[in-house]
Amino acid sequence: MAEEFNTESMLDLFLYESGQLLEKLEGIILEKQDADCFDDADINEIFRVMHTIKGSSGVLMYENITKVTHKLEDVFYYLRESHPDNVPHMELVEKVLAVSDFVTGELDKLKNGDTPDGDEKQLVEDLDVFLGRLKGEIKNQGIQMPQANKHVEPTQFYITPVAGDDSHFYRISIHYRSDTQMSNLRAYSATYALKEVAEDLLYTPDDILSNEASADVIVAEGFHMLLQTKSSKEEVIALIDSSEAEEINFDELTKEEYGKALSEFGREEAAMEAAPPAAAKDNGNKEAKKEGPKPGDYVVKTKEAGKGKTLAKNQPKQQSIISVNVEKMDALMDLIGELVIAEAVVLQNPDLKVPGLELSNFQKASGQLSKITTELQDVIMSMRMMPLTNTFQKMRRIVFDVSRKLGKDIELEVIGENTEVDKNIIEHITDPLMHLVRNSVDHGIEEDPADRTSVGKPSKGKITLEAKNEGGKVYISVKDDGKGLNRDKLYQKALDKGLIENKPISEFTDKEIFRFITLPGFSTKEEVTEYSGRGVGMDVVVKNIQSISGRLDISSVEFEGSEMTLVIPLTLAIINGIVVQVGNSPFVIETASIKEFVRVGEDSLISEPSGEEYIVLRGECYPFIRLNERYDLPDSVDKIEEGIIVVLEHEGSQVCVLIDKLLQEQEIVVKPIPPYVRKVKGLSGCTQLGDGSIALILDIAGLLMHDGERR
Amino acid sequence: MKILLAEDDFASRKFMDKQLSRYGECDVMVDGEEAVDAFMMALEDGEPYDLACLDVMMPVMDGYQVLKAIRDIEAQKGIPKSKRVKVIMTTALNDERNVKMAFELGCEAYAGKPIDMEKFEKVLNKLGLI
Repeated sequence: MAEEFNTESMLDLFLYESGQLLEKLEGIILEKQDADCFDDADINEIFRVMHTIKGSSGVLMYENITKVTHKLEDVFYYLRESHPDNVPHMELVEKVLAVSDFVTGELDKLKNGDTPDGDEKQLVEDLDVFLGRLKGEIKNQGIQMPQANKHVEPTQFYITPVAGDDSHFYRISIHYRSDTQMSNLRAYSATYALKEVAEDLLYTPDDILSNEASADVIVAEGFHMLLQTKSSKEEVIALIDSSEAEEINFDELTKEEYGKALSEFGREEAAMEAAPPAAAKDNGNKEAKKEGPKPGDYVVKTKEAGKGKTLAKNQPKQQSIISVNVEKMDALMDLIGELVIAEAVVLQNPDLKVPGLELSNFQKASGQLSKITTELQDVIMSMRMMPLTNTFQKMRRIVFDVSRKLGKDIELEVIGENTEVDKNIIEHITDPLMHLVRNSVDHGIEEDPADRTSVGKPSKGKITLEAKNEGGKVYISVKDDGKGLNRDKLYQKALDKGLIENKPISEFTDKEIFRFITLPGFSTKEEVTEYSGRGVGMDVVVKNIQSISGRLDISSVEFEGSEMTLVIPLTLAIINGIVVQVGNSPFVIETASIKEFVRVGEDSLISEPSGEEYIVLRGECYPFIRLNERYDLPDSVDKIEEGIIVVLEHEGSQVCVLIDKLLQEQEIVVKPIPPYVRKVKGLSGCTQLGDGSIALILDIAGLLMHDGERR
Repeated sequence: MKILLAEDDFASRKFMDKQLSRYGECDVMVDGEEAVDAFMMALEDGEPYDLACLDVMMPVMDGYQVLKAIRDIEAQKGIPKSKRVKVIMTTALNDERNVKMAFELGCEAYAGKPIDMEKFEKVLNKLGLI
């Protein structure tokens, strides 16, 4: 429990601030990597970042971080004061990144609760050498040497609490024999003995010394203790006087269980010490919450006999930002989903369909309700949205690292990094995106600049990373102006590897051929490099993207470049769908994948002898699926004149399905199909409709795949 | 060195007393007011404390009030900054805002509980106490 709420602690704040500063630092560095030198504003900014991290790590006594940042601060101090020319810019960039990596590594260790024990010596030495050269350069250029950078040692220190990892948590219950005299004193001696080793000790009944009647309670119900200690179970047992005890129960608890047990024991003060912000739950006194703590807020009321400690005044709390466990957000999201369903159940209740009901007031009220639930959805969605800035920042770093390693000169352009996406989705796309970017640097951009100039392109390669938000989908594209994909090569390769059927190349469209690179085991690059070319990757990218209902579009023109676009839904939980009926079963189709509804006559239907059927629409031929046959649904429309044809599209392929009738369009809360139902192809989930019935959600990709396999 | 320890919780008091006694003579107080009284007394006797370890949550006066009182007394008596008693707050209240407030009130160090004795010793070293 402490873990969850401790976000504002000194250490967390240090981690957060330093992390932010380092991100900013990397941003500056990568933006200016290709410039000849840093300008004054950058130098000042980097100096300030290093100074701040140095200062706060000094207060928290992380000496290796202090030393490293101190050195780099020195370097930038001289740059700032003397403005020397001919600073080896690339080397400087590398030094800054090395420091940033080192500090990031140490911060990560702290985040994981480890000791930041990285060895800074080598880095400090390197920086010293660099600084020495820089000073020499300054002298050579005849600039007056500035006074040495004065360092103020911190005068105040913060000692971070030891990580409580090696603490054990126990629940101890002692039951004394029923004829035990003065069991309360025995209990007291047990607590006294434990105080030697206890980091925290709580017991019930808690008035053992002041209330003689507690002896009876102890005999009847036992004496219960919660103990936090570094000692082992055996050591603790040895401390407890077990004579007269009938039974001693000894449970080791996890930290979470211990926190829970503490609150069950009902000790406010304990809950408060463990998790200060939790104290903000005091209901009254809202205005006081806005103030910061003051001396005098923590006066402990003198203990009343037998009562636990209480504070004279509950500490006021102000929180402009709180961090929330993602699980709780997900739970809220689920609940709102349920609410949307419940709303539909009420508003579309069959009882309302009684003829002659006067419903105008009901309609007004229900309109209000719908408005609020929609807003509620928007709010929870916006809470989960995060900008892609951080993800894109990582990509900058990758382009920088990989292009330097490979000796390619590449510029990265980033567009729309403020586009916001659901947090869950960001987690899923980071790896695939990283892979695509690496691929573009490694395979996309030509190795030899001459290859570029010969086709009239600038010698410097360019990669464009773009994100945009359109029609409920997010498009993230990685575009390079490299050599592009070669149709013949891809075809030959796929054929050689036996990944495709032996069909002449002319039968494949460009898109189909480009999609070969996403087949498992395909890699066109002859040799495997450190970064890519292992032939695993693109298929994994596609799988990852499909797992969040996204897709990968590939387009390319040879010698001009390629573009990989990830198309992902803005959110996974609620979709806009159309409810249709087949037989007695309702189905949901995502509105975005529907191309059109048509009624056609029997003459548009083509039946193959093998049983496959096609529909011809305006001269185009589409595969045709009868849902009633596919899912064995009785009492449905069989003649296509009587039903409706829905044309569905997914990733450029179309399929027609036959349905009986359209019911309505509505927001659909997607629920997974419960695990006890066998996985059925062509269905991606289910939902509950307003009348309480369950509708299945059609998975277009699954339908197409199934259709393909059948052939 | 002369140490003032203010701590109302018995277990912590026992622990800190044991740890601090390695560095010098340790006077133990159980509430904030006693701590200020003891500080005043030592000052008047001409044997001021070198180090004060103050818990925050205490009866009568809390640690911050004690810290403020100590600094006020010192200011009033015109004790130069270098001669002031070194104060280390010892508490489980690790909010950044609490720490900042304590720094502003003029403590030398702020130790989160459970206390990392290794670092604690380093701080004593840096403060020139050992």
